[in-house]
Amino acid sequence: MATHELLLLKNMSQPGYSGSLADYERAGGYQALKKVLGKIPPGDITEMVKKSGLRGRGGAGFPTGVKWSFIPKDHPGPRYLICNADESEPGTFKDRQLMERDPHQMIEGMIIAAYAIGVRTSYIYIRGEFVLGARVLERALAEAYQAGYLGKDILGTGFALDLYVHRGAGAYICGEETALLESLEGKRGLPRIKPPFPATHGLFQKPTVVNNVETLANVPHIVNRGAEWFASIGNPPKSSGTRVFCMSGHVKRPGNYEVPMGVTFREIIYDIAGGMRGDKPLKAFIPGGASAAFLMPEHLDVKLDFESVAQAGSMLGSGGITVMEEGTCMVWAAENLLHFFNHESCGKCTPCREGSSWLLQILRRIDHGKGKMEDLATLTRLCGNIAGRTVCAFGDAEIAPITSTLQYFRDEYEAHIREQRCPFRSQPAPELISVGR
Amino acid sequence: MAEMVTILIDGKPIEVEKGTLVIEAARRIGVMIPHFCYHPKLKPDANCRMCLVEVEKMPKLQTSCSTVVAEGMVVRTNTPVVDEAHKSVLEFILANHPLDCPICDQGGRCDLQDFSHRYTPTGSQFTDTKRVYEKGFFSPLIEKEMNRCVSCLRCVRYCDEIMDVKALANAARSTMTEIVHFAGHPLDCEFCGGCVQICPVGAITSRLSMYEFRPWMMKRADTTCGYCGDGCSLILETRGEKVIEVMSSHGNGRNNGDLCAKGFFGYQYVNHEDRLTTPLVRQADGNLHPVTWDEVLPVLAERLTQIKLAHGADAIGGLISARCTNEDLYLFQKFMRLAIGSNHLDSTARYGHVNAARALRRVQGTNRWTVSYEDIVQADALLLIGTQVTAANPIVGLKVKEAVKKHGATLLTLETLVPSIETTSNITNLSALHVAVPPGRHAAAVRGLVKAAFDENLVDAALSSRAGDYVSRIRAAATALPYPEGLDEAALRAVAKAFAGARRGVILIGQDLLQAPGGHESAVNLLDFLLLLGKLTQPGWGLAPLTEENNEQGAVEMGATAEYLPGPADVGDAAARTQIAGAWKDQPPASQGMHLLEMLDAARAGTLKAMLIVGENPVRSLPLSAKAASALEKLDLLVVQELFLTETAKLADVVLPACSYAEKTGTFTNSEGFVQKVRPGLEPVGDSRPDWEILSSLSVMMGYPLEYGDAKEILKEIRAVIPGYRVLGAKPEPAQVAAKSVEQYLTRGFAEDLPARYSAGAAPKANSHRWALAVGQTLFHSGAMSTKAQGLLELQHEGKLIMNPADAQRLGIADGDRVRLTSTSGEATVPVTMLGRIPEGTLFFPESFREALAGLPSMTPDPVTGVPYCKQLRVSVDKVGTGGASSGPPPARIAGGK
Ligand SMILES: Cc1cc2nc3c(=O)[nH]c(=O)nc-3n(C[C@H](O)[C@H](O)[C@H](O)COP(=O)(O)O)c2cc1C
Ligand code: SF4
Ligand code: SF4
Ligand code: SF4
Ligand code: FES
Repeated sequence: MATHELLLLKNMSQPGYSGSLADYERAGGYQALKKVLGKIPPGDITEMVKKSGLRGRGGAGFPTGVKWSFIPKDHPGPRYLICNADESEPGTFKDRQLMERDPHQMIEGMIIAAYAIGVRTSYIYIRGEFVLGARVLERALAEAYQAGYLGKDILGTGFALDLYVHRGAGAYICGEETALLESLEGKRGLPRIKPPFPATHGLFQKPTVVNNVETLANVPHIVNRGAEWFASIGNPPKSSGTRVFCMSGHVKRPGNYEVPMGVTFREIIYDIAGGMRGDKPLKAFIPGGASAAFLMPEHLDVKLDFESVAQAGSMLGSGGITVMEEGTCMVWAAENLLHFFNHESCGKCTPCREGSSWLLQILRRIDHGKGKMEDLATLTRLCGNIAGRTVCAFGDAEIAPITSTLQYFRDEYEAHIREQRCPFRSQPAPELISVGR
Repeated sequence: MAEMVTILIDGKPIEVEKGTLVIEAARRIGVMIPHFCYHPKLKPDANCRMCLVEVEKMPKLQTSCSTVVAEGMVVRTNTPVVDEAHKSVLEFILANHPLDCPICDQGGRCDLQDFSHRYTPTGSQFTDTKRVYEKGFFSPLIEKEMNRCVSCLRCVRYCDEIMDVKALANAARSTMTEIVHFAGHPLDCEFCGGCVQICPVGAITSRLSMYEFRPWMMKRADTTCGYCGDGCSLILETRGEKVIEVMSSHGNGRNNGDLCAKGFFGYQYVNHEDRLTTPLVRQADGNLHPVTWDEVLPVLAERLTQIKLAHGADAIGGLISARCTNEDLYLFQKFMRLAIGSNHLDSTARYGHVNAARALRRVQGTNRWTVSYEDIVQADALLLIGTQVTAANPIVGLKVKEAVKKHGATLLTLETLVPSIETTSNITNLSALHVAVPPGRHAAAVRGLVKAAFDENLVDAALSSRAGDYVSRIRAAATALPYPEGLDEAALRAVAKAFAGARRGVILIGQDLLQAPGGHESAVNLLDFLLLLGKLTQPGWGLAPLTEENNEQGAVEMGATAEYLPGPADVGDAAARTQIAGAWKDQPPASQGMHLLEMLDAARAGTLKAMLIVGENPVRSLPLSAKAASALEKLDLLVVQELFLTETAKLADVVLPACSYAEKTGTFTNSEGFVQKVRPGLEPVGDSRPDWEILSSLSVMMGYPLEYGDAKEILKEIRAVIPGYRVLGAKPEPAQVAAKSVEQYLTRGFAEDLPARYSAGAAPKANSHRWALAVGQTLFHSGAMSTKAQGLLELQHEGKLIMNPADAQRLGIADGDRVRLTSTSGEATVPVTMLGRIPEGTLFFPESFREALAGLPSMTPDPVTGVPYCKQLRVSVDKVGTGGASSGPPPARIAGGK
């Protein structure tokens, strides 16, 4: 396949790049900020980002510039920008690398975003387990303050911004933006009902933008090279730019790969990630993090962009691609994912709270050779009773593995039930381990 | 007028106010959308997903509890899809539910049962393992059964949003989500019972009534709480001769369905085994012996008549509790004034409320509030002075919290407490401006406020031109004083400024101000403050004294004090006397009656020969130094009508068993002047009788029949005689300031005691006792009655001295240690506990356990109003012992009346 230019991973792929301020500046860092502050009116930055076609990389793919423009212009009092660095989606590990290896890229993006929407206080909400990331960010922030990129009078332009790192306390749900806000306010991280949306009633009920790490890391590039340039990358107009895809599972070279949107699954699995581990045939893959429905080998030529993946019945989501080879038990795969979702269901709303454990129990039973044929109808019915009826999108996420495996691998479920055992395993399935409660 | 919106629900059009939730709009046309997490009191949380409905043009089902109506919205609540969605939520909930309805106290009044019945589920597909929690409990009073919980979070939200206590939280995740309190010890909160009441299922229940009933076995009586002046509507749920539980209902009463610990858990004194059930008479052996009413009444009537003949009517005095009904109070004073012929009568309003009532009458012509609770909620500035509002008047406290938390009112506090985060709410945590006022210094703080009105140029220009003399003389008097020493001058000035700048402001005053030297003057000075700001006559503004006992307002209005005839009207007012004489067909005595302390003096001097005491226990209420017991012992005849054999009753010659409020019909008048019904939940305990009935029988025997068929007949007379009772509406009508009265005050009235009102007062006496000790109300107790309520004793069974943790550390004192307190009048040894809200250098002791301090306080009577001041004193503290006995569990059974 054609080689392409790296944007986000570019600096860190240079040998010896440490992510320090000096390194970042040497690589052209903070030029975008200098271009913007005091020179381009904030509203124009938002327009520029709108025009670039940048969409959120956190999962939902919401147009970033449009999100910024929702912030009421003349709202008195504070407003906030939050960087969502809670990255906890199974199979997703790009934000971590972006933060640990090139923190200033994201920080520069945040400062520009803050300028665009008139924010003076901003937070990076980072997953609690990312100890290294938090340390790296703290160090980077100190450097940025020192260099006058943060603080009272940034680059002598009178623009002021304070940026803080806030560490989460270990819950997947805190990546959901409203749960994140609750957690940031010091409360238990439970999603809020929407409306109202964060744009008007966010952190401490003030107008707030929440953006993903990768989304923000794109901003300096857009400023440096222009909206038109960005809008020409990938598969515009709906999917412009690159994405960092996280390859995991049964591939030869798991890891993060930045490619323009619009490459196919075949390219990313077989060329970029080196093909199937042990060269076994591909059985199925998750295209966008654990919340995305499974896709099949027949989807290999689907393009990795928002629309195409949605059309194929799944979503591009967080960019986590988990590949499974022939011989993988799909009931067990679904059970494994449900184990995660059951563990992480925040417990706020009934269908998800009660549904997740019920679903898990059924899957476990089937996997352990104690299933009944009626269970399949129950699974379908329960998933239907969760879909679209929960407070947050978690409910839709947790049923995706089940509905999609039931769609593509119903025979495997039936075989488990008929034979009262797992046809793929001679040993009993290993117990899934929970960390904490 | 609010903007209206028309929507279509199940084909029916309905017009509702903009902002209404769909679930509420539906309720108005009689469509009850099933719900668990929704409660009109709470912010929508939409977590249970039970209330889903179809809304045209919306792809997904919507939660009707969080969806606001929009013009032209089309809602369907009963389509197959909606029905199926409701069923599925029930199915999810029931999957893990233990189905232990037969032993659940909520059975029969449970939302889950009702909705399950409505959707008639037939068997569950759930065949796996139910989640089971370990048996847990919150406290000796509150049971939790998490297996029944539907995770609606109403309890958590109530405790946070309404109570501001935040004692509960949901912990863990997924199906293991559980409602918990802070671990390591039983629940430590305000025990308002709100979580018990708001739980839609049987997951949180009261342990006081556990397993004692099925809901349909109980009789319900809608009545009014007998504890404080807030006047909460509550429901007595009784079975046979016993009160099983107390409930309230949302939207009902001045409390809007909220209650406090006293109201919710404090009812068991009614059925206490020590209740008096027969009359007792002291016989030759010197002991009290049971007799029948038929035996005692004639003899008693005879004795009273004899004393009257021998020594004159003025040799007989009376005292009544302001916890009695208006009917009791009214008949009591009528009995004293006509059947006996004496003006020597008093009520417990003397302990403080008369200070406020007199001030209000003097300036604004009415003793009543010119505002209501609604005005508190709607005020944009609230000034609290010496109220300890959460402890003494919890429901008014909730109104204050609502004003601040929901409507963003500015809270200004001149209180003894200081802000601190603890397990119970602390009103000063919500203050925008707080001035820490040590016990006994509130009067000085009030003088500082008036001074600040001048120093900050807040005086109404119109008033200055209209009443120049008044303004300049108050200015001269108030500004001549320095700002009170030890109080934050800048904060005091800022408070005055913030209050003056409000659109609507209410001043709430309480016992720390009114039951301390200068109490009466302070109330007048605060009216000066309102006058000077030009606000006294503005709608929504006013001075609102809170009453500690439920019917102090009624006591004053019924004329149950020496200085007042029913109305209240001044005893010395000939025209008022003539008027009442017209209604009574007899003249009340014209002499100036003696108030409580004067009666005790007269008893001691031998001029007062007999006393009739109804429901009050002065031997306990007054400090030892008041020598009430020895005064009462000198009487030839002491008659006590009581629930229990109190210290005072033990001295009596005749003890008559009275009914508690739970057995009475009548009315109470709350702090804001709202008259509410008292209805019996029980038949009289034993041979006890309502107080009015006892007095009525006695009057008949004495040959001066004050005969009434029932309490209602007395109320009829009250309504004819007292203007404020003529119309008894469903809602309080705040009184109007009488222009004539204000005019009179501004021209002449203010001057009569001007120097006294604006003198620095007796500076806190410098003596070797450096601690300021305040005795006052607590959350869990009020008066002595509450100490006979098992539920409240579980919460607090002894008086502990409370001090600031930093002070305790300095003195090397740990929780439960004992200290000796020494004052100029005596000493006492008490256990200690710590709370950050008590400022350093200050001590607090719960009044309901004041016998532990009996020897300590000295008493200063108010020279004008006769209010006995004994709640603030100065003491020294010495540690005498560590821990031990005092901190153990409460005794299994509480010995009463001893
Ligand atoms: C259950 C759940 C978990 C989520 N976790 C994350 C996360 O870890 N990181 C993230 O950036 N967004 C996450 N999101 C998406 C956020 O809610 C939000 O849409 C995103 O942060 C917006 O940023 P973007 O517009 O830049 O994508 C999650 C959403 C849901 C429903
Ligand atoms: S869908 Fe699940 S994670 Fe989201 S609010 Fe409901 S219980 Fe919580
Ligand atoms: S009883 Fe206690 S826990 Fe329950 S609502 Fe009241 S204060 Fe909160
Ligand atoms: S205990 Fe009751 S009120 Fe609290 S969450 Fe559970 S069901 Fe709701
Ligand atoms: S009542 Fe609406 S979601 Fe619970």
